[in-house]
Amino acid sequence: MQNITRIYALSKRNVILRYKNSLVGFLWGFFKPLLYLLILIIVFSRMSGIDNFVLYATSGLIFWFYFANVTNQSIASIIASAGIIKSLNVPVAFFPLSEILSELFNFMLTIFVFLVAMNWFGIVYSPKLFLILPVALLFSFFTLGITLVLCALNVFFRDVGILWTTVQPALFYLTPIAYPENLIPTHYAFVVKFNPVYHFIKLARTILHDNAYPSSALWLHCIIIATLSFAVGYFVFNKLKNQFISSI
Amino acid sequence: MSNDTLISFDNVSISFWQNNMGVHSIKDLITNRKNPFVNKTILKNISFEVKRGECMGILGRNGSGKSTLLRTIAGLIKPQVGKMTINGTFAPILAIGAGLELELSGYENMHLLLSLYGKARKNTNAIQSIIDFSELSDEVLRMPAKRYSSGMLARLAFSISVANDADILIIDEVLAVGDQGFQTKCMEKIYQVKAEGKTILFVSHFPDDVMRLCDTAILLENGTISYRGPSKLVCEQYNNLF
Repeated sequence: MQNITRIYALSKRNVILRYKNSLVGFLWGFFKPLLYLLILIIVFSRMSGIDNFVLYATSGLIFWFYFANVTNQSIASIIASAGIIKSLNVPVAFFPLSEILSELFNFMLTIFVFLVAMNWFGIVYSPKLFLILPVALLFSFFTLGITLVLCALNVFFRDVGILWTTVQPALFYLTPIAYPENLIPTHYAFVVKFNPVYHFIKLARTILHDNAYPSSALWLHCIIIATLSFAVGYFVFNKLKNQFISSI
Repeated sequence: MSNDTLISFDNVSISFWQNNMGVHSIKDLITNRKNPFVNKTILKNISFEVKRGECMGILGRNGSGKSTLLRTIAGLIKPQVGKMTINGTFAPILAIGAGLELELSGYENMHLLLSLYGKARKNTNAIQSIIDFSELSDEVLRMPAKRYSSGMLARLAFSISVANDADILIIDEVLAVGDQGFQTKCMEKIYQVKAEGKTILFVSHFPDDVMRLCDTAILLENGTISYRGPSKLVCEQYNNLF
């Protein structure tokens, strides 16, 4: 119970700090993907050959932005909280965890707004849409794993953070979010298959865009990736956390 | 260990990875081809005990390991060697400038630190006591802490520290920047806390304060305890250092 209060207090601090001196505040959570969508529509919608491009791209985009926001905001979370870490006995994992929770709240709001707005872009309302919740949960575990590795390494090598901002756009374009999968030449298909984000985006899109039940093989893939990512993140973070205080 | 021993250190050593080759990037790591991290010992074979109600002073030059020792006692650093036993709760260590979030207002800082400390969120008593003790006006407390003077920061920090009725109060040179009035008030508060039978760990560079307030003291030199005993004797040894 006490720990819930502490994580809540940290999440609240994150939100206050993030939107300090910003005019529209948390609405940026909606504007950012919207602006991106606009760019994607202008650049890709004709060449992609997808009938319902808006629904196709948006269902991938909201998941991508959740992933990108969490990793970007958590990567410096340990360093930024040096003052608190050096003066209070709070488990260090709470800092990335509070970032992911405040983003998860934002993400849930975004999904709700998305479901309402996509009414005009031909989304089919059916009980299948509830499957998006377990997808969000799996994706969160995957994201948390990546985040824990990134923010732990970033304590010792600050260029992890810089590298990540560079690698991220590449990962975005290697994920079929704005273009259909069949656009990828077959001998490069393995690159996409090795991209972990791709599987989650595909899972979400099957439900939101295709209005179909994802295959059990796809579910299994995602469960394995999420578990692996979380396990690696947990291991790396625990291995390094006692040394954080000397490097911040 | 008897029941009224609150803190006991038995041959505790603390070491950190220290980046002593100037490796700050992956490029350096690849071109150097050596382990960039060296295990550096900060505290060596520290043994002491603090009893309930005791007030212990910690003296030492800059860089002798005082802050590391305090952080170890508070559980922020886990010792790799030796045995450490703590029977009590801590008030946050708020050294000047550390712990407070400078972008947040005074009020927001209070709420954050009280919650992180584990106090209920709507703890109006604690909030009121912080406001009263710090003597900061409502207008000031609404301002972001980055606009505070160092004296105002010290007021806020110290007030939050003492508002947590913890078993062990750790004071790390917070008193150096407050004005005369606040310093006196702080010392009075510390004596009051001491009179209540609580345990105090007091770090200071003023042997006079340590001698007056503390029963016992330790002197740290290069990460080891060079003297330990009644505060008067330890303070004399401290004065001999310079």
